[in-house]
Formats: sequence, C-alpha cells, structure tokens
Amino acid sequence: MPKKKAKDRQGVVEKTEGTISRRSVLKIGAVAGAAGVLAPNMLTSNEALGFQQTIAEPVTCANGQPSPPHHPFVQNFAAPFPADDHPLNPQPTEFANLGAGEADRAAHPRWAQFAPAHFTYDVSAAPGLHTFHPDFSPTYLWTFNGQFPGPTIFGKYGKSGIVRFRNNLPVTTTTFGRNEITIHLHNGHHGSESDGFAGDFFGTGFWKDNLYPNVYAGIDTFPGNPGGDGVGNPQEKMGSFWYHDHRAEFTLNNNVLGLNGMYIVYDSTDPGHENPSAGSLQLPGYYGVTDFPIELVDHRFCATANGRTELVNAAGGDKFIVNGMLQPKMTVRRRKYRFRILNTGPTQTYDLTLIKPDGSVGTMVVIATDANFLEHPIPVDAGANAGNSNSTTAPIVPGGLRVSVAERFDVVIDFAEFPAGSKLYLKENRTMFVGNPSPDPLPPGLNIGNVLMQFNVVNREPWFPVDTPPIPSTLCTYPTQPTTDNTWEWQFVLVGGRFRVKRPFDTVGCTFDPDHSAHCMLQGTTEEWLLNNNIASGWTHPVHIHFEEGRTLKRFVNGVEVPVPPLHSGRKDVYRLEAGQGALIKMSFRDYSGRYLIHCHNMAHEDNFMMVRWDIVPDQAALDACVADQQICEAEMLAKENYREEVA
Amino acid sequence: MDRRELLSRVFEPHPASPGVTRYTNAVLRTQDNEAVKFYDDLIRGKQCVINFMYAECHGSCPAVTQTLKTIYRELKPRMGKDLFFYSITIKPENDTPAALKHYAEMRNVDLPGWYFLTGDPNDLKTIRYRLFNMDHPGLDSDLALHSGYLRIINDGRNSWGMAQAFASNRNILRRIAWQDPPKSYAERVIESRARQILIDEEVKKYGYRRDVMS
Repeated sequence: MPKKKAKDRQGVVEKTEGTISRRSVLKIGAVAGAAGVLAPNMLTSNEALGFQQTIAEPVTCANGQPSPPHHPFVQNFAAPFPADDHPLNPQPTEFANLGAGEADRAAHPRWAQFAPAHFTYDVSAAPGLHTFHPDFSPTYLWTFNGQFPGPTIFGKYGKSGIVRFRNNLPVTTTTFGRNEITIHLHNGHHGSESDGFAGDFFGTGFWKDNLYPNVYAGIDTFPGNPGGDGVGNPQEKMGSFWYHDHRAEFTLNNNVLGLNGMYIVYDSTDPGHENPSAGSLQLPGYYGVTDFPIELVDHRFCATANGRTELVNAAGGDKFIVNGMLQPKMTVRRRKYRFRILNTGPTQTYDLTLIKPDGSVGTMVVIATDANFLEHPIPVDAGANAGNSNSTTAPIVPGGLRVSVAERFDVVIDFAEFPAGSKLYLKENRTMFVGNPSPDPLPPGLNIGNVLMQFNVVNREPWFPVDTPPIPSTLCTYPTQPTTDNTWEWQFVLVGGRFRVKRPFDTVGCTFDPDHSAHCMLQGTTEEWLLNNNIASGWTHPVHIHFEEGRTLKRFVNGVEVPVPPLHSGRKDVYRLEAGQGALIKMSFRDYSGRYLIHCHNMAHEDNFMMVRWDIVPDQAALDACVADQQICEAEMLAKENYREEVA
Repeated sequence: MDRRELLSRVFEPHPASPGVTRYTNAVLRTQDNEAVKFYDDLIRGKQCVINFMYAECHGSCPAVTQTLKTIYRELKPRMGKDLFFYSITIKPENDTPAALKHYAEMRNVDLPGWYFLTGDPNDLKTIRYRLFNMDHPGLDSDLALHSGYLRIINDGRNSWGMAQAFASNRNILRRIAWQDPPKSYAERVIESRARQILIDEEVKKYGYRRDVMS
C-alpha cells in the first residue's frame, strides 16, 4: 500500500475524533438548506448532528466467547459526574416548541404552578467512548452528555426542574440500538407528557423538555411545607430516582448501550449534606464523598478489529460493571457511608452481600427501598438479621440483599468497626469471568469472580468529614392511605411463548398498545392491585408501576398468603415477583391525569410487550370515553382457536 | 408506480442487514405465478408486512385479510412503491398460485403491492421459523401460533417489529409507521414548523391544544 494513503487515513481519524469535522458542518448546512430555511436556533438545538461523524460505529464481534481478562482492583471507585445546571436556549415552553426542534408532546400540566423551572439541565443522548477498565480499549456506547453511567441529575423538593433531553444519536446506525428515545424518570410524580411513555419516542435531531416538578404526591391537599420543601405530603418523599430510555421494543438494547443514569432529589430531611439542620436525619450525605450510587449492569465484551473493546449484544454478560468500572477499589474512612444501589439491568437479578476480612457476612443497614425511606432502618446480615432477606422464598444467600432490575436499595455501611488496613468486599452470588488472580489475599471462601468491588479501610484524615450520628431509629412515617375504591388484578403470564399482561377478564392477556388503555381510573381514587406471577415458569418479573408508589398489603407464594418480608413492607415502585409469587398492593392516583404504564422491568420482557398502558382520567365523561376505547386483547385468541381447529 | 419513481427508487439494504442469512433467498411464486427470490426481490431495502395464511381457511385468515385490506386503503399511496404486504401460505401443497389468485380475487385483494406467496414446503417452513422464531421446537412447529401476528420488516433500516393482527387498525398502522423509513431531518423540520403554526392558532383560540391526546 502506498505510504501516503495510510498517512491520509490516519489523518482523517485524528481530525474527526472529538471535533465536528468541516465535512459534517457542510452536511448540516446542506440539510438546513434542503429545509428551505437556515434558522440559527435550529442549528443550535441540533449542533451535535456533528457527533454523527466523530465516532466510528463498532464492527460486529462474535458472540459466545468470554470477555477479555482484566486485573481486579485497579480503578478507583467514583460516583458518576453530576450534570451541570445551565440555562436552556430556547426557553422552555408550556406547549411543545416544534418550531425550534422540540418533539411533539402534550402541554406541560400545572405549568403556571411549576414554571419557570428552578433547575434546568441540558442532556444529550449521543455516541461516546467509555473505557470500562485500563486493560480494555475504549468501548462505543450511547451516552448522556458523553459519559457512562449518565450524569447524576440533582433536584430539590419544592424546586421544579426541566431536563431537556436531546437526541443526538446517529441518523443511521449499525449498532443493536434504536436511534429513537423517550426518557422515563423512574419513578417521578409528574405529568404523563414528561414520563417517557414507551410510545412517545422521538427521532434524531430533536429534543424534548421533561418537566419534573420535584414535589411530594398530594399536591392539592398539602399546599405548602416548612423548610422550603414545596407542596405535597412530605411523607411521600422519595430520594434515589433513575432515568433511562423507555423506547418500546428497544428498551433493553438502548439501555445496554448506556442510556441511563441517576436522579437524586433532596429535601430538608435528607439535604445532601451532613451538617445539623432543621429536620435533617443527618445521614451520610455528601455525594461522591460519603454518599455514592452503585449502578450495576452486566456486559459481555470482545476485542474487535478496529482496536476497540466492544459490547456484545447479549443479555446476561460475564462482567459485572459498577458505575462503569470493573472491580474497582474504594478507599473508605472509618465512618458511615451511604450507597444507593441500583440494578440497571438489563435482565439479571443480583444477590449482594458484604464480606468482612474474616470471610463472614457484614451488616448493611437498608434505609430506603426504591427511593422511599423505610419507617425504621432494617439491618441485613447473615446472623440475627438474616430473616430480613427480602425474598419470600427460602433464603437465597444468607444476609443477601436481592436486587432485581430497577430496584433501588439505599444502604448504610459503617466501616468504623474495622481497623485501618482492613479490606472488605461487595459480593455478588453469580460468578463473572476475571482471568487474573486477586492482587490481595481474599477472605476465606471468597472467589475473585464474585467480587463486585473492594473497600480499603483507612483512618479518617483531618480534612475528611467526621462521622455522622447513629442512624435514627425512625426515618419517616408512612402516609395513611385512603379507603380502597376499587380492586384490580394484573397477571404476568407467558402464553404461547409470548409475554403478556392479563386482566381479570382476559383469557389470553395483552401486549403493549400505545393507543389504548388497558385500565382506566378516575383521578383521586385509591385502588388495590393484585399482581400475580402465577406461572411457575422460573421467571422473575420485577413489576414496575409508573407514577405512584404503593404499599404491599399481602404477599403470596403459589396462592398461599405468606408474611410480607420486611424489605417489601415499605413503599416501593418495583414489586419483585419470583416464580409463583404474588403481591397485593395499594396505591392512590393523584394530582395528574394521563397515560402511564405497568410492566415487567426485565427489559427483555418489556420489549416483548409484557407491558400495558393504564390511564388516569380527570372526570366521569373522560372515564366513560376511556372505558369505551379500552384495549381489547381477546379477539386474537378467539381467532387463534378457530384457526387451530381448522389446521388440526 | 410512475416511471420517474420507478427509475429513481433504489432499494438500499441497511449496511447491517442480515440479508439472506436471516431471510433466505428461497424462490417463491406469487399469485400471478411469477418466480420471486424472497430476500432479493421481496425484502431487500423494502418495508413489508408479512402474515401467514392459507386459502381454504375460514377462521382467522379471512379476518386478518380483511384487516389488511382496511389498512391497505390507508396506506394506498405507498403500497407497491416502498411498502408491501406478503401473505404466505402455510399449506403450499394445496395453495398453488392459481388457488391464491382465486382467493385474492374473491376477496378483492388482488392489489398492487400485495403478494400471495407459495413455494417449496420446506422453504416456507424455514421462512416461518426465521420470522417467528421463539427458540422452542414445540412452539415453532405449531402452525396455529403465528396466525395472530404480523411481522413488519424494514430492511432499509434493518428493523423489524410485530403487530397483533387483531389489534385496532389504528394500532397496526402505528406499528407499521414505527418501522417507516426515517424521514430526513429536513422533512421533519418542515413538518414540525407546519404543526407549530396549527398549535399556535389553537392555543390562541382556545387556550389549549385540542389535537393531542391526554
């Protein structure tokens, strides 16, 4: 090959990586020219169309091989970088600003009440390169603002926020993702136009404002709270949210590619600092210092011909990733730390234990389940508190904290009891492929393949925040739920090889229909829902209900009532139903009307449409209309029966 | 299809399309007894809706055919240009091209862009398996299982989706639209701006938008 050509090719790579090449700028010009107009605000909104030229898409890699080996405990554990609060241009509007490139949506409800937003964030979904481990080459991902996991977004109760999600994904892609997004804040209390409804996805080059009022539920009944916490019932407080793509049929693909991140909301009880202040519980609370998300995901990697280490599209990887790192080490001082554990999926359930230097199981004190404080903290360990395992089946792992997809557990770990120099480990029950021995001798019985991360205990330096007071024995009181207006049942079933959601009167079940609601209810009503995974199929269905938090009244195993496990007794939004399990939950539907979803959060299942839409409607007339237009899931089965008779 | 369109239309497959390795290039016959290659002539670079049926069926097949006929009307401007319906028989031993022609004529669905296909039984079995594969030998060999589904493929963007044949027409149309060729940025900008004018008028007149569902 002539030398000059090779050099040229090298030059092209250098020029295009990281900057908008001249060619792509010309392309943008050509596009705008074709539109007949060259509006500056249009270009601003979609400036990152240039991204499309900068990062080459991955080349396909062979499936079925183990990932490359890596060396444990090389990276330093860190919290994902926070998003910048910065002004939006153009200004957010109540009605969709289509003229400036916003995707179509319904008007923001309660606009007069919550605008202008106190926080504004500009978050762009775009390709990026992320290095999971120094032993690996960079990996092509779809990221928010170029980082993985996505930037942590902060909010405060009483101060509304608008996040402008831009779709700057490639116009054409050879990856397994789909370049259309709809971002769901899990599990925010806001209008359905900002909820990331699975059918509301929008394409490349457009953006959409999600209005997150950051209010407690019960807006109209609690007009104001002290301490600047805004409206709503403070007993409805939530903290650890996360945001992720919810594109129908492609949620798994887009999340595996990296479209998710954490969203943390503070209030006066949980103010994001540790200083004594009115109402503060004084929990470990400095983000990135004593308060860390642990965002879990599993991936399979392969080294590809283009010199990168790329993802293999396989649900169920052989590397367990913690905050975008592989088996990181974390230096902890002899004091309390808060960890917000989140399983971002896509499909696997984690059983986490804290392993002490002597190989025994340590204590993790659970303070919140799915973003909601527990009334009383619940310690989990293998000894006296082993019964606090949050499963209704026999103990899976003694002292294990079971985390299915989308569940969050806020835990406090106290490292004060361990002398400096101790090493503790966060263990996962499944084994990953490491390929290298541990540099440090592991506690007896611990296999390096089960280690998610290592904690190195050191003495607290003078500059490091002093320990917080003991965790209060009462963190909150649960709100009193109104009397039940209606009962309802959802069954999560597998019919003819397809995942379905079944209503009481269905014989088959429903798949996702964005145009029709499977269940309608009046705003302000309270319902008891029986969630049932009544096929002993071996599948775990982490059932997620958008918009409202519920309380578990009863749990069932194969139809027989069993005591509610302590960690399911609090307020939750993901109800883990293992094979044969059921849960009776109660929730009120308040403040907003619109389209919301109930679905299995195993992303492979929701993409196969184990998901239905339910609606909250404002008045009786709307209820009648909703019921009249309700989703019909029967005809197909009837037809199939006819068909089967004839074929046979 | 008008001549200019015919000449300018290029059916480009997506670079990542699995092509014949997934779809096969089996030679099938249409109701007009034309030989067509499944991938090269029917799938490559095109958007299509595929269902399985057979001519003598009196249960769900006529109902699915009727549904497709209804949505055909909505999609008429695109039919035979970049969007196609393929109804593939599961009983090729009975369904000769002539039998399928008769079926189509009888139901007034012998329309441009809608092909009724038959062929070698093993080829059809392979195609059915490739399109509705559930990795389960029992389920996959059940002929009745796929009667209620439409497979929607757009090879030009390497995407495929599914619709329930007995969902509402609105839902099926939406599912087909989900696999439409992506509009260019310029096209969408023009649409957006036109829509913005309507929104502005409505908001000015009523104080809210009437055209969006809740």
